[in-house]
Amino acid sequence: MTEYSRQASGSFTSTGAAKAINLPFAPNRIKLLNYTASAAFTDHRVLSAEWFSGMGQGFAIAQVRNTTYQSDSVIANGFSTFQAGLSLQYGAKQQIIGATAANPIVFNVTAHGYSVGDIVTFEGLYQSATTGMPQIAGMPFVISAVGDVDHFSVVWPGNGSNYTALSGSPTGATVKKVLYPFLYAPGVSFVEAITTGTTTTVVTTTPHNLLVGAEVAFRIPASWGTVELNSLPNVVIPGSAIYGYVVSVTNSTTVVVGTKSTGFTAFNTNQTVASVPGLSFPQMLAVGDVNTGGASISAGSVLYPPPVVNGANTINGPAINNAFVNNTSQGFIIGAGACVTDTAAVLVGANANVIYWEAFLDDIVV
Amino acid sequence: MSITTTGNLGPMILQSLAPAMLYVPTPTMNYITVCDKVSMPANGGTTCRFMRPRALQPPTIQLGNSGIDPPAQVPQRDIIDAQMAFFGTGCIINEQVILQDQEGVLAWVSERLAVAMRQAEDLILRDYVVSAASEINAGGGSNGDNPTNLGISDFSLVATTLDTNNAYKFMSGIEGMDRFGTGPVRSSYFMLSSTELQSDFDTLVGSGFLSQWNYPTNASALPSEYGAVNNVRILTSSEAPVSRGSSAKGNDIYYNTVLGKQALTHINQDGFSMNLIYRDPYYSGMLAQNATLAVKFAQAQAITQDTAIRNLLSTRLSNLGV
Repeated sequence: MTEYSRQASGSFTSTGAAKAINLPFAPNRIKLLNYTASAAFTDHRVLSAEWFSGMGQGFAIAQVRNTTYQSDSVIANGFSTFQAGLSLQYGAKQQIIGATAANPIVFNVTAHGYSVGDIVTFEGLYQSATTGMPQIAGMPFVISAVGDVDHFSVVWPGNGSNYTALSGSPTGATVKKVLYPFLYAPGVSFVEAITTGTTTTVVTTTPHNLLVGAEVAFRIPASWGTVELNSLPNVVIPGSAIYGYVVSVTNSTTVVVGTKSTGFTAFNTNQTVASVPGLSFPQMLAVGDVNTGGASISAGSVLYPPPVVNGANTINGPAINNAFVNNTSQGFIIGAGACVTDTAAVLVGANANVIYWEAFLDDIVV
Repeated sequence: MSITTTGNLGPMILQSLAPAMLYVPTPTMNYITVCDKVSMPANGGTTCRFMRPRALQPPTIQLGNSGIDPPAQVPQRDIIDAQMAFFGTGCIINEQVILQDQEGVLAWVSERLAVAMRQAEDLILRDYVVSAASEINAGGGSNGDNPTNLGISDFSLVATTLDTNNAYKFMSGIEGMDRFGTGPVRSSYFMLSSTELQSDFDTLVGSGFLSQWNYPTNASALPSEYGAVNNVRILTSSEAPVSRGSSAKGNDIYYNTVLGKQALTHINQDGFSMNLIYRDPYYSGMLAQNATLAVKFAQAQAITQDTAIRNLLSTRLSNLGV
């Protein structure tokens, strides 16, 4: 009997994308069973896999079926553990070879390894001292599409006249992944587009994590145009901040705010390269809410669901919708890495495969 | 002649423990110092709710002589919710350690756990502010980056912004005194900054930066206070948030949080502000071998006056010599 070890098990239906499992510990041993593929004797599937911490992050020893049962391994994007407790942590910087001056902007980075939904930031997007797209350096973006292993896209009006394409691997032009982008939510989002009218539609560069009923404030620097949305100044009640409320959520990066903005100054992303030193970014931030209840139940959910951040349940208990919540967590990731020999077999399985897993943190590792 | 040396008659016990433990390098914890503290009652659910009334429109239009009342106003308020979260860590200590170690292990492990808990409180507040407070990129410096290094105009801009937003300052000013090298200090907001920027602040001496040492009196200075610029008093810490290599030119970005009173609130839940838990080996297993020492606490946090807080992002003027 072990006194202080930890063990956990569970199952999920794979989407074919890497799956993060939150646990109260980071395991040192993981097992996986693809129930669907094992029961159907499906070829080119990882039927089962194991990992010990000594193998290193991203590794897995797998059993696959490729006409016959074979041993195989995953050497990248296999099992990995995570402890998401501190912000401002990043993946490795990668050199940008080129980028299109278009919307969306397509970046060329050799073997970038990113997936749709990853959050990245850019640095040094100068083609020359006066050209390129440094206007967006430092702003976080969600990857909207992955063209191939060397290309990915982010949504931004890079077709503005002040943006020019990057080519020839400009010195200092790099991208890096934000490892834990939403440890606390909701928070500040950077604005990519604003449509004015009887309501105001706001598109953000990363998931906003807002729900209907969220109260929001805007910080739009003058050069970006729509300063009338800003909380202050208030000409009707001087000193009293003006807020808006989210009346509908279009998708993870688009919300409709109830503020009537007809006639407001148009939003302008076409900033000049010369303006970059000291250029502040347009922001929308959560400042409160008018909600009285928590997340609604759904098929298979618990009766009092936790808050959802970036599309996934937090490990919290129930809270009022759009309360400020803590989203720190730890656990492990089942990656979508392919096997070395049977490259059609990926660790996390194919879409709709039912995956069972076990995770352990042992008392004694000799 | 034979000389007896330690080579043939060495001490029976080669080492003795120095009389005091060495200090543990610990960052100053500035966020917890400057935030408001609220205690949420026990049995109060999962979420702490704040209410701030909105200002009513001042009746600047005269009534005239019609005898008819003006329309009534509808009072409104803003609601801010913050969900409580629980944290904890601990150590399992075998009784043989307690029995045989020459030092009071339980005592210093207890102290370490308490400090870890306090540091966690501060780091949680720090990262929450990074995620939830709006940002201004410094533009008053000279390094041509985005953000630039901090210039005097950046301090002026952020203090002006908070003043215009009617934020409350923390400190009343320090009146000037007839002492060489000193100068008066304005009533101020706090800026929570990085120790790595102290060399940048020093370059602003003569341009508006006043070292804490040059205050007329240090009576109201906080231990981590480095100095003041305009209406901003600067507290530094080595654990201030830094986004490494993230500026437009790939330099480190520093999150300098400038805030007024009530901008940031720390919330604990009654009975869980801090628990230091010791369990005797008696409670572990058949042979009662292991004691446990642990801390746990409950904490939530909220920006309760979003207009009174800004992250002033900056880079550094020059590289550190470390």
